[in-house]
Parts: sequence; C-alpha cells; structure tokens
Amino acid sequence: MASIGLINYATFMGTMIGIYAILALGLNVQWGVTGLFNAGIAGFFAVGAYLSALLTAPPSPERIMGWELPVAVGWLGAMAGAALIAWPIGRICLRFRSDYLAIATIGVAEVIRLVLRTEEMLSGGARGITGVPRPFGGLEYSLSQFAYFALVIAVLLLVYWALERQLAAPWGRMMKAIRDNEQAAAAMGKDIAKRRLEAFVLGAAVMGLAGALYVHFMRAITPEAIDPMISTFLVWIMLILGGSGNNRGAILGAVIVWLIWSMSEFVTDQLPADIATQAKYIRVFLIGLMLQLILRFRPEGLLPEESGQRTASLPPSPR
Amino acid sequence: MKKKILASLSVLALGGAIASAPAMAQNVKVAYLVAITGPIAGMAPTMVQSMKFAAEQVNAQGGIGNGGKLDPQVYDSGCNPQLATDAATKAVNVNGVIGIVGPSCSGPVIAVANSVSVPAGVLLITSSGTSPKISTLDDKDLVFRTVPSDDYQGRALARTIRARGIDKVAITYLNNDYGLGLAEAFTDEFKKQGGTVTASRAHEDKKASYRSDLAELAKGGADTLVVFAYGNSSGLTILRQAIENGFFKNFVGADGMRDEGMVKTLGPDNLKTLLVSAPAGATGTGFEKFSKDFKAAGGDPNGTFAATSYDAAFLMALAIEKAGGDKAKLPQALREVATAPGEPILPGEWAKAKKLIAEGKDIDYKGAAGDQEFDAHGDVPGDYVLYKVGGSGFAEIERMK
Repeated sequence: MASIGLINYATFMGTMIGIYAILALGLNVQWGVTGLFNAGIAGFFAVGAYLSALLTAPPSPERIMGWELPVAVGWLGAMAGAALIAWPIGRICLRFRSDYLAIATIGVAEVIRLVLRTEEMLSGGARGITGVPRPFGGLEYSLSQFAYFALVIAVLLLVYWALERQLAAPWGRMMKAIRDNEQAAAAMGKDIAKRRLEAFVLGAAVMGLAGALYVHFMRAITPEAIDPMISTFLVWIMLILGGSGNNRGAILGAVIVWLIWSMSEFVTDQLPADIATQAKYIRVFLIGLMLQLILRFRPEGLLPEESGQRTASLPPSPR
Repeated sequence: MKKKILASLSVLALGGAIASAPAMAQNVKVAYLVAITGPIAGMAPTMVQSMKFAAEQVNAQGGIGNGGKLDPQVYDSGCNPQLATDAATKAVNVNGVIGIVGPSCSGPVIAVANSVSVPAGVLLITSSGTSPKISTLDDKDLVFRTVPSDDYQGRALARTIRARGIDKVAITYLNNDYGLGLAEAFTDEFKKQGGTVTASRAHEDKKASYRSDLAELAKGGADTLVVFAYGNSSGLTILRQAIENGFFKNFVGADGMRDEGMVKTLGPDNLKTLLVSAPAGATGTGFEKFSKDFKAAGGDPNGTFAATSYDAAFLMALAIEKAGGDKAKLPQALREVATAPGEPILPGEWAKAKKLIAEGKDIDYKGAAGDQEFDAHGDVPGDYVLYKVGGSGFAEIERMK
C-alpha cells in the first residue's frame, strides 16, 4: 500500500516536473539562446491552457466554444494560439531591450490574466472551465496518473529533441550570435528583428503546449492557476538554476526546483506542531536561498551552456 | 553533481516518508489543506486553529474508535491549484489520509476534486470553497462543503428585498468568484420575482475612485444600489462615494458588507438605508457553544471561515467514527451523522456522539455555522438573516427564506 502510494506521488511529481520542464525549455529558447527577457510566461501558459480547454471541453451555455475535439487537436491549437498571440506582442515589444522588454511582457501577461478573469463568455470568468477531458482519464486512479505521466514525458522528449535539433542547426548559432553581439550579427547581414521574433514565437508556442498539458492533467482551469509566482517566476528560477542556454539544464532545473518545492513540506512537518504551520513558508525561502547561492557561486547554472567546438578554449562570453 | 543532488534529495524524501509513518496503527490520519501561503494567508491561521481545535476536542474526549487518535496533517494549499493538488497528492498517497478537510478557495477545490481526491476515492469537505461550480462537479458523492454556495445567499437576498417592495435595482460586484456568484444568483432570482435590474457592472478591487462606475450605474433610474464586495475594501469606497455624490438612496449588501469597521468609518447616521444579509450561524445555539469553547482555547470564533472550518473538521471525525474508519463508507456515514433525523449533537459534544454511535443510534450534528444538512450535491443551504445598521453595529431585522 505504502509503496503504491509513493509511486503515485512520484508519478504526480513527474508529471508536474514534465510540464514545468517544457515551460523552462520554452523560456530557454527565448532567454537562454536569444537573450529575450520574457517575464510574461504565465500569459502564454494561460493562452495554451484555456484554448486547449475550450477546444476539447463539452459546451456550456455560459461561454463560447466547447467543441469536444480530440485532445491532440487541443494541444496543437494551444501551440498555434500561443504563437499567434506572441506574434503581435513580439512585433511591438521586441524593439525594447532587456529590462524594458521584461516590463512590457509582465504587462502583457497581466492583460491576458485580467481578460481571462473578466470575460465570462470567453473563459468562464472567475469560475474557469471544468470538465476538460484527460487522455486515459477513464482508467483507475494510479493507472490513469501513470499513463498521463508517460504521455507528458513523451511530449517532453519530443520537444527536447526538436529544440536540440533546431539549436544545433545554423539557426541556433545565429541566435547565439545575435544574443552575444547584436551589431556584429547585423553587420553580417542578419535581420535581427525578424530572427528575434522567430525565437519569441517559437518559445511562446512551447509554453502554450505546457499550458495545454497542464489543463488536461487537472481537468479544469481557473484564473488562480496563472498566478505569476507559480507560473512565471518559478520557471525563471528553474532555468537560471539549471543553466540557461542548455536544454538539459532547463530540464534539470525543473526537476530540482519542483522536488524541493514539493518535498520540503515533509521535512518541515517534522518540526514541533507549534511552528510547523509557520514553517510552510520555508520552501519559498529555500528556493530564494538556492537562487542566491547559484548566482553567487555558479552564475552559469548547474549545467552551463556548451560552447561550440571552435570556441571551446575561450571563456564563456559575458551577458 | 546531478547524481549527488538527486541522491541527497531522495534520502531527504525517504527520511520524510519514514519519519511520518504512523506511530500507532489505529490512529486515523486526516489532511487539513489550508492556504497558509498566498493571497488569503491572512485568514489561514484562524482556519487551521479551529480545525485543530476540533481534533483536540475529539482526542480529549475518547478519540476515534477503540483508543485511536485523530491525527491531523496540515498542508499548504496556497489558494493555488498547482500547490493544492501537490499537497493533496502527498496527503493521500504518501501519508495515507482517509479524508481531506479543505482546500481553501474554489479553484483549488475543483482541481483537487478532479485530479486527486475523487479519482482516488477520498472524501473531501471544504470549508471555504463557495463557487456554484463545485455543486455540479461529477464527484461520485465525495465532495461536500460546510460553507453555503454563493448561489443560496444571492437568491435569498433577492427574494427578501423584493418582498420588501423594492422593484428596481442597480448592481455592482467585485470581480472575483464571490462577487460574480452572488450577482448572478441575485439577478436571476430578482428577475424571476418580477423585479428589474437596470444595470450590473463588475468592479476591480482597491481603486481610489468608483465615481465613473457609479455614474453609469445610476443612469438606469434605480435608487437602490446592490453592492457585492467587502466592506473593508472596495465596498467602503463605493458606499462613501455613492452617498457623497447622491448617486443612490438605498443600499443592499451581502455578508462581505457586514463590516463594523465600515459603519464606524462612514458613521451610522449615513447608513440608515443600508440592508445587509449574513449567515445566521452567528446566532444559533451551535455557534454559541463553539464560540464559548473556542474563545476559551484562545481562538477568534468570528474569524472568517472559523466556524465552517470547525464544522468541516468535526464532521469528518464524526463520519470516520460512524464508518469505523472504512474509507469507502465515509460519504454515506457523513450524510447519516450530519442530517436529520437523529439525536442533536452540538459542537464539542464528541463523547456524547461517540456513545450514541457505539449504541447504533442515529445522530444529527448541529454545527457552529448552521445545521449542516447536506443536499444531493453535498451543499448546505445556509441560513441567512437580514440586518440593518443600529447603534454602532448591525441589528437583526428578519430571517430570510
């Protein structure tokens, strides 16, 4: 009994880690490779989640759509939708540099969150959307959890493989060139604005996919789920901790941060009952502390970016 | 590096799992999922305290079954579905709880029910999820709540106001599930009773001025404004500006507007035309008993969700006792101990309840927050009273139907 319970818990964590790893991979395309400071991850996550829910959930008189399409259509729709939203945003915001872009994307994410919260016809408003189907959802609890876990990991591997190929291609080297020295890249005839927009849209589509995976796992979406702390900053911490610029680092960061986030509660529960409740805040503190330590002692992250063969002897370029 | 970290983490996890294994076999574990961190963290300490208080009373008066104790495990659900499902998964799978009290906030209740507790067959009683969506979940009779759905209060208020001869109102509501749920139910019922809603607008919290909203609302010609908001926040600003600028003559609010601080700020003389509804729990014998006991234990019985949280935890214990600790029988047992007929049990009367259950007699829990009679959805109807401002506080006018 106890071992089945532990397996169920591990399966749940694995699924959440898989979803967050995909978010971190999306951010890695934008920040790690291209140097775009996107602080509005929650917005693209939300677009993916809501769109996939609307495409696959049963209809409801209080909102639009509810087309009961296959889940795979929902996932593809989520990616396309997030990319479509990202395109005009990128067109407008990518002219800003680093910190200005961060502020603009925070604003965009808040706009998306407030629209989803307010427009009942679109998103069910504050009550959200329920009745979203889950693939293998009809199975018994443990089996259903495990089947979905396997599906999420398969999608994660697929995304990882596709992004690795994309970054190993000339496109990836070009993006790094733009990141490290924009003027030089422009002088070589690269269309900076267009290329940055490509990376922004690609990363957003991956984030939308993560949102879709999330909504089918929970079978429901409410505005609380797109809280910036949980859906934006946690992802940033994962990427920075794991190593930005490295896809394996993004995945490792997601594993470590979620394990600490989830398991630290078992440790704090061993404290005396009087302070155990207050100690729930420790996990927030632990994550912050880890980020500080990493930035102080290993700013390149646990798995730093691999530099190309020809530049292997050179020190990593400063950001 | 990676291996080392993973290894040390798994040691950490194993240590946690072993150390939290039950000390005595017949002890019964329940999870209390409360939003200790997050947006409603301010309410959490009282909720945890009142739940734990219920468990203490149970253990002090004979415990569960034959010498076992109720072993509550407190988890942080953060008013966020990601955190709440994580906490519920840990509670159900690692710590082996047989019932969940909580989680806080409606979104997390829906997520936990959908993806953890219902598939795993675990009983869930929330003390603070008020969204009408919770009623219609496909829950296999495993989701209950001790706090009434926002739907009930909105409808009761609409009928009462209509019966008092008001036929035209404008509505403004705070844009969250609380305000929206009330506004929808009120509008629907008010129209059914033949009333007219001239305008209905959502507003965002914590704005400095609502004058433009009020001007729009007043255009329809209604002289009564219904405010579904909180009297320590946007509700206060709206009332002040509506009175100052003379947009409306009469005001109606729900329990969020029953705020004595608001009366002090605006002055009772200015609020003579304000009517508010609030749960009647605060006047029943169940509440009086709970109030006395909880105060003696250092708690605040009037804290938000204190009484409903206590009821949820106490009912969970009663159901476990009745079902003999059998997880599969819990929902049925919960219905039996909570609903009439049966010998009435007041908050804290665990020894009496335990004796009656042992004798095979039917009991009927009369809780701190109301009678706690569950309907087919696992909802409680709620018992509401209409108040007006009197002295420096609120005076009861009538019981609402």
